[in-house]
Amino acid sequence: MSVADAIASFSASLPRVLPEVVLAASSCVTLLLGLFLKKNKSAVLAIFSIAVFLVAIGLLVATWPQQPVSLFAGMFRADDFSAFFRLLFLTGGALTICIALQKESSTEYYLFIQAVVAGACWLAMSMHFVAVLVSLELVSIGSYILAGFAFNKASSEGSLKYFLMGSVATACLIYGASLLYGITGTFDFSSQQLADALLQSQTGFMLIAAFLILAAILFKLTAFPFHLWAPDVYQSAPTPVVAFISVVPKLAGLVVFIKLVLAFNLFGQAPINWKSVISALALLSILVGNLSALAQTNPKRMLAYSSIAQAGFLLVGVTTLDLAGIHATMFYAVAFLLMNVLVFTALHFFEKWKSLPAFTNFSGLGRVAFVPALGLVIGLVALTGLPPTAGFTAKLFVFSALWGSWTDSGQFIVLLLFVTGLLNTIVALYFYLKIPYYLFLKATPPGTASIKITFTGNLLLLILVIAIVWLFLNPGLLMGWINRITFVL
Amino acid sequence: MTINDLLFYLSAFLFCCGLLIVFTKKNAIMVLMGIELMLNAANLNLVVFNHQQSGLDGQLTALFVILVAVCEAAVGIAIVLRVYQYYQTAVPDQVSELKEHD
Repeated sequence: MSVADAIASFSASLPRVLPEVVLAASSCVTLLLGLFLKKNKSAVLAIFSIAVFLVAIGLLVATWPQQPVSLFAGMFRADDFSAFFRLLFLTGGALTICIALQKESSTEYYLFIQAVVAGACWLAMSMHFVAVLVSLELVSIGSYILAGFAFNKASSEGSLKYFLMGSVATACLIYGASLLYGITGTFDFSSQQLADALLQSQTGFMLIAAFLILAAILFKLTAFPFHLWAPDVYQSAPTPVVAFISVVPKLAGLVVFIKLVLAFNLFGQAPINWKSVISALALLSILVGNLSALAQTNPKRMLAYSSIAQAGFLLVGVTTLDLAGIHATMFYAVAFLLMNVLVFTALHFFEKWKSLPAFTNFSGLGRVAFVPALGLVIGLVALTGLPPTAGFTAKLFVFSALWGSWTDSGQFIVLLLFVTGLLNTIVALYFYLKIPYYLFLKATPPGTASIKITFTGNLLLLILVIAIVWLFLNPGLLMGWINRITFVL
Repeated sequence: MTINDLLFYLSAFLFCCGLLIVFTKKNAIMVLMGIELMLNAANLNLVVFNHQQSGLDGQLTALFVILVAVCEAAVGIAIVLRVYQYYQTAVPDQVSELKEHD
């Protein structure tokens, strides 16, 4: 490719990635604004970041629906599938900033939120291991720093653990990709060359390479057996950051996981059965997450284990390895974003009010602060997967996709996953409903002063609650929209 | 056995050494060194495999890996310094305020 061709391909690609271009430009503007602003720095930067996310969402929606286009000489591909997830990441970023203003080092806080969202957007479009590597690092490095933004002892510890485990995972990804390059001679995982070479290759090498690569992706997904960082980071990081980390990097990992597994699956001709491997991973994530959550006394640590279990449920839809399952997973991703942000927004309110190391501190607070308590209850009921919330509908979709997969393939592990997933709702009920139990059924301790929640805080909670209930009552609209998205690797 | 095979075994050896250091060494700085070893093993692989292919994909990727490793190390050392300020140690095993109920 000549230089002129490269420049032509570059300028032809730019209009398809306008949201990311906007985010890159706004990161620089954020830095400059942070230098020059003196008064109300945090509030101005927050409003600026939300405006940027809204502009990016607008630019993305304007290109909908689009024909799949290969960008930057095959590094990325823009299609409806990636656009759907980019929309989720941008929304996640905007909602995170709505949860609370960052007081200390606010410039860097908003900068890293924008950078991580941009990284996640690039990751959703990646079709090449170099692209995956660079965008994954943009996501990871930003998250390591954000995890330390409480600026206290515990937070620095969480940040260190996240960093050490995360960089080992990245090193594994790079080594795996280098092995895969040795086997196939290409980094492009959607190419025919990769599929042909993998079909003829020795199984052992391919398995080592695939395992190393997927390990790094499962780390981002917080799925078993790479979930060990989650409890410490969730417990120590500031709550808005936890809401962010539990949604954006996780769903970004999910997108790459779907693409890579479809590439390694080779349309079912792969030497190992990926369907049962993912089923086993999902099964163990759900079991480990839910059973460890039972013993927790700290609400954020409990939600970390719940997030591991949710990673399992996100993987349930992927086990089918077909379009129906991926559509169900996409619906689950929307519901997951809404309910997780709702739970952490409500939790942040209570945390600001009283520091809450244990469940008992929630005693009777539901009568004093009704709206946040209601938000927390709806969010937790949605995470459990009970009606009348989007969590129920999402679980219904993924498990019906799984049932279809079981009747087609008849693999025992798929049935086992189905049964375990359903039984785990009962286990989940026990620990998720601990907080509502303390909120509403215990007596309010004497001397509890009432607190006024701001109008905007109430508004955000109410919007999220309405969205979750509305998705339960009327899932057809979103599902119809998702069903029009086709996905080919 | 060709020189390429030898280099491939060397890179596998380096990767395993790096992984071993990560799991056995106590100090966070030593763990960072282990991670660098793993990354350089991958770089060696990329350059060696590039010999058997047409194009420069592998070598260019190695450049990207070096860049990414630099960024990661910069952030990593900053985090380790922060931890040292609070705990007066850079040994992750002694940095354990957070509760374990696992």
